[in-house]
Amino acid sequence: MAKSIGVSFSMGASEGGLDADKNTGELENTYILRPIFQQRFRPSVVKGCIHAVLKEELENAEYSPEEMPQLTKRLSETIKDKLKELGYDRYKMVVQVVIGEQRGEGVFMAARCFWDADTDNYTHDIFMNDTLFCVVAAFGCFYY
Amino acid sequence: MEPGKKRTKDDTWKADDLRRQLWAVQSGHPREDKKLREKKLHKESEVASLEYREHRSKDPDRDVRRRERVAERDPQTSMENPHGERDHEKHRERRKDVKYREKDKLKERHREQDPEKSHSRGKDKEKEKEKDRKVRKEELKQTTAYHNLLVREGRGRQLLERAEKKVRAASKARTEEKERRDEDSERGDEERERRYRERKLQYGDNKENPLSYWLYKEDERKHRKPRETDQEKRYQEKSSTREKREKHSKEKGNSFSDKEGEERHRIKRHKEGFHLEEGRRSHRDKKERSSKEEHKKREQKEIEKEDTDLETAGADDYSASFEDDFEDYEDDFEVCDGDDDSNNEPDSQGKTEELPLAQKREIQEIQKAINAENERVGELSSKMFQKQGRMEYEQEPQADANTSPSRTPVCGIFVDFATASHRQKSRSQAIKQKTRSTKLLRLIDLDFSFTFSVLDLPPVNEYDMYIRNFGKKNTKQAYVQYNEDSVDRDIQTEDIETREVWTQHPGESAIVSGGNEERDFSDATVVPRIDTPRLSSFLRAACQVIAVLLEEDRLAAGPSWNPHCQDSTLSISDSSSQLNTSLPFLQNRKVSCLHASRVQRHTVVSVHDLPEKRFSQSLDSRHLLCVWDIWQPSGPQKVLICESKVTCCCFSPFKAFLLFAGTVHGSVVVWDLREDSRIHQYVRLSDCFWTFRTPTFSTDGILTSVNHRSPLQAIESVSTSVYKKQSFVLSPFSTEEEMAGLSFHIASLDNGGVLNVWVVVELPKADISGSMSDLGLLPGGRIKLVHSAVIRLDDSLSHKGTEFWGSPQTLSVKFLPSDPNHFVVGTDIGLISHGTRQDWKVSPKLFKPQQHGIRPVKVNVIDFSPFGEPIFLAGCSDGSIRLHQLTCERPLVQWDSSTNGRAVISLQWSPTRPALFLVQDESSSIYIWDLLENDLAPVAKQPICPDRLVAMTVMGDPEKASGSFVALVLAKASGTVDVQYLKRQWITPEADEHKKLLLFLQESPWREWGAAGMKSNFWGRDGSYITRHFQKP
Repeated sequence: MAKSIGVSFSMGASEGGLDADKNTGELENTYILRPIFQQRFRPSVVKGCIHAVLKEELENAEYSPEEMPQLTKRLSETIKDKLKELGYDRYKMVVQVVIGEQRGEGVFMAARCFWDADTDNYTHDIFMNDTLFCVVAAFGCFYY
Repeated sequence: MEPGKKRTKDDTWKADDLRRQLWAVQSGHPREDKKLREKKLHKESEVASLEYREHRSKDPDRDVRRRERVAERDPQTSMENPHGERDHEKHRERRKDVKYREKDKLKERHREQDPEKSHSRGKDKEKEKEKDRKVRKEELKQTTAYHNLLVREGRGRQLLERAEKKVRAASKARTEEKERRDEDSERGDEERERRYRERKLQYGDNKENPLSYWLYKEDERKHRKPRETDQEKRYQEKSSTREKREKHSKEKGNSFSDKEGEERHRIKRHKEGFHLEEGRRSHRDKKERSSKEEHKKREQKEIEKEDTDLETAGADDYSASFEDDFEDYEDDFEVCDGDDDSNNEPDSQGKTEELPLAQKREIQEIQKAINAENERVGELSSKMFQKQGRMEYEQEPQADANTSPSRTPVCGIFVDFATASHRQKSRSQAIKQKTRSTKLLRLIDLDFSFTFSVLDLPPVNEYDMYIRNFGKKNTKQAYVQYNEDSVDRDIQTEDIETREVWTQHPGESAIVSGGNEERDFSDATVVPRIDTPRLSSFLRAACQVIAVLLEEDRLAAGPSWNPHCQDSTLSISDSSSQLNTSLPFLQNRKVSCLHASRVQRHTVVSVHDLPEKRFSQSLDSRHLLCVWDIWQPSGPQKVLICESKVTCCCFSPFKAFLLFAGTVHGSVVVWDLREDSRIHQYVRLSDCFWTFRTPTFSTDGILTSVNHRSPLQAIESVSTSVYKKQSFVLSPFSTEEEMAGLSFHIASLDNGGVLNVWVVVELPKADISGSMSDLGLLPGGRIKLVHSAVIRLDDSLSHKGTEFWGSPQTLSVKFLPSDPNHFVVGTDIGLISHGTRQDWKVSPKLFKPQQHGIRPVKVNVIDFSPFGEPIFLAGCSDGSIRLHQLTCERPLVQWDSSTNGRAVISLQWSPTRPALFLVQDESSSIYIWDLLENDLAPVAKQPICPDRLVAMTVMGDPEKASGSFVALVLAKASGTVDVQYLKRQWITPEADEHKKLLLFLQESPWREWGAAGMKSNFWGRDGSYITRHFQKP
């Protein structure tokens, strides 16, 4: 069975944090090693956000190989923007969107991250309908 | 461009960049730089493609020559170094080559090229070089204090960038891409370069920040100069060795390489020409300007140094040619230094020379094609560049009017400054980031925490796929097997044939005696259902029938007493028979009493007195009772023995299996006729065994407190249930009688006026060994009597002025058939007492004879009408017969003279005719009364003589109209017992005889009496109590 998977990455970083750090970094090492509790990457919240986006965007979507690349890009951008709105100031967000056609094959996706597990986190959400499945994985990496 | 944005770009380090940066900072090897430089040179020298480069490396001479030619073709450009700083080293190298080659050329083939041009060009070049070198040396001095690392790093890049930026913006990118692909190891450097270049471009474009431009330029120059000088020095040495090498190669591959080279170079020249010409303008100007500026600033300080530099440079330059001959070993060292390109060149060259011609041709063709393409691309890019350039030129003057008098030089300077300053900045930033990262990494643990399984979608199996595509939604298929429980079994063996045969009596169905061969199996399968009770009743009846038949056969055979029997037939009877009382144990015994069962109509019991003659020791002292079936007169059914004289006896009311008897000793004895004969005494008499049954239960000696103390006069069975007339209607084998069982009482009356009521109890299980508690019970017997009540009749009789006669004797008792609670007792004073078992008030209390006053008249016998009328007959010792109505004190009718004053001994209603009764008196006469025919006298009188009549009883069966009979059982003084069957006229009832009797009863009182009027109570036939007032007419 022929199948095409559109993958799109979208990376974005919230700005501002680094600037301050850079200026003071010369004087003394005021590294912020842990995020503020309120700004900690919370998978549940992010998942909800992703889920909302997916629900809205893919509610009536059907798989078509031509549209999927644009759709994945658009999804990743929207999700990324939404995540930025959540106010994870010192986080760099990586949003990966995979859309594949549902044709009965088995699919296995896994992610592995080399990161600081204390600060960085990840969440993913899956949307499925009759014709397609969409997997969104959002990784949040903390800027020290 | 805003600084913020720029910074972000810088900030987002690519991993490779960062790594390379760090690495480069840590190991600032001059060798690396050198290598880099070498490679740069190669890259720059080649126009575009790898193939071309390779080709060139194979044939370096050609390349050099080509450049030479380029120079020759464009004399103006050769005046100044057209390549600028970018081609500085190359030029130097080339210059040496050129020098050498020119020498060669001059020597060998100076006719081919224009010698003058080359000469002039060479001179020009040298002049230019000198000038440049001077400037560069100055700068070198100035910037020696600068960071060594930066210098090394930036150097090669700087060269490249500046040249390329000016000359070919478009084609540059392409070549770089190709280079990147080929030289992976160097890719990082190039990328870095490119980034710097970009930054530089930004600076270049940034016309609003002239200061930064300047700074950048300065910076760039600082970097550039020292390196260039280094390169120069090294190249001077290197070029000398290379020249030597080239010399050798030239000599070898002279013949063809020249031609080919020329052809190729001609093509290339076009391209290069374009680039060079375009680049030259801006490039050259910039160079000159910068150098001039530098000069002005630092002239004073560095004049001396310059001089020395120049000298050394000049010496170097010129010494190169001399060194050629001597320094052969230099080549080897260079190889060891790691200069790959220079090392490889001769080798590859050698190889290509060795290749066959065909291959070479192939390669040449390919090269041609590639070159053609490159040319095309080059033209395109140059055009584009021209356009861009023009645009830039138009814009620049307005922005940078102050700083630059002419357009192009200003632009060049600003780009230099910008890039320099920017690079400095980025460098410092890189360092900062590096230190930051190293510090941070100490604090942070990075790890592969674990692998997230993002999606695990198992493959859909075929069934689900099918269902999803073709099945209905929200339905699931389930497996159902219809008719699953219908299991079919088959047996192959054939059925066994069976045949039923019946060999016993009585037979069932049609298979008796061997069965029928032809009958089908279905008949045989019908299993006959045996109704055991019915069978037993049938057997019982059949046995009797058989016995009777046998009896008759025997009679027909003519036994001894048969004729005698025939003779004894009376006038009132049709026939007669005689019970066989000639049995040895019955001989010489008088019959004192006879009693017939009211249920089993042909059963009669005879009570025999003690024998007059001695017969047997064991039996002589005992009284005997014989139970006869009148159909079987040959012998008694049962023979019972009793220790004391039996005065009265009776059968159980519903089924005659119990015989009760009262004795003169006041005891009540019971025989259970069902008992097994084996528990009784066996006596063998004249070849025949006789069983003498002792009483099952006797009240002798027990229950002394309540037991009778005087001889018993009467014993009667009392049904506890309401008397049913129907019981007479039922056949003797009716099941109802069996069910009734033992639900009756026994009443025994002694002559002292004590009436005892006994309950008959049947024990559930016989005890052969005898019972400890039930005294009086025969071992193995199951019937016993329990005293229930005692009724003293003395009280009711004594107060009637009978004081003179003492206490009256009670002689007989009868219970009202329709209501067993009522009974009448005959006394010896002519009165009949009326009583109830529950001491109810009854009226009348006494039934009196018509004669007033108390007379000593014994009421010997009382008999209720068996047809339900509340009337009874009483026979008295004075010969009077009274017909009493239960409600009336005085008798309805009293016949005083019917027997001529002889005492009435026995009196009994006929069982078949309501209006007929039979009377026996003490004179041995039998009277037959028919009230409908004659209510004043008996219709018949039969004296029994000569054998005096002792006892009489009447038996009869009213049921069968044709077969009904009335038999008189007559016990005679001789001890014989005759059975006389009455004539049909006294047996068959008249039509409406019962109503006629009732009518007679209603009329009789006033005719006999003559009283003015009286009240009379009647029992209605339906049991209602009727009160009548009779009026005397």
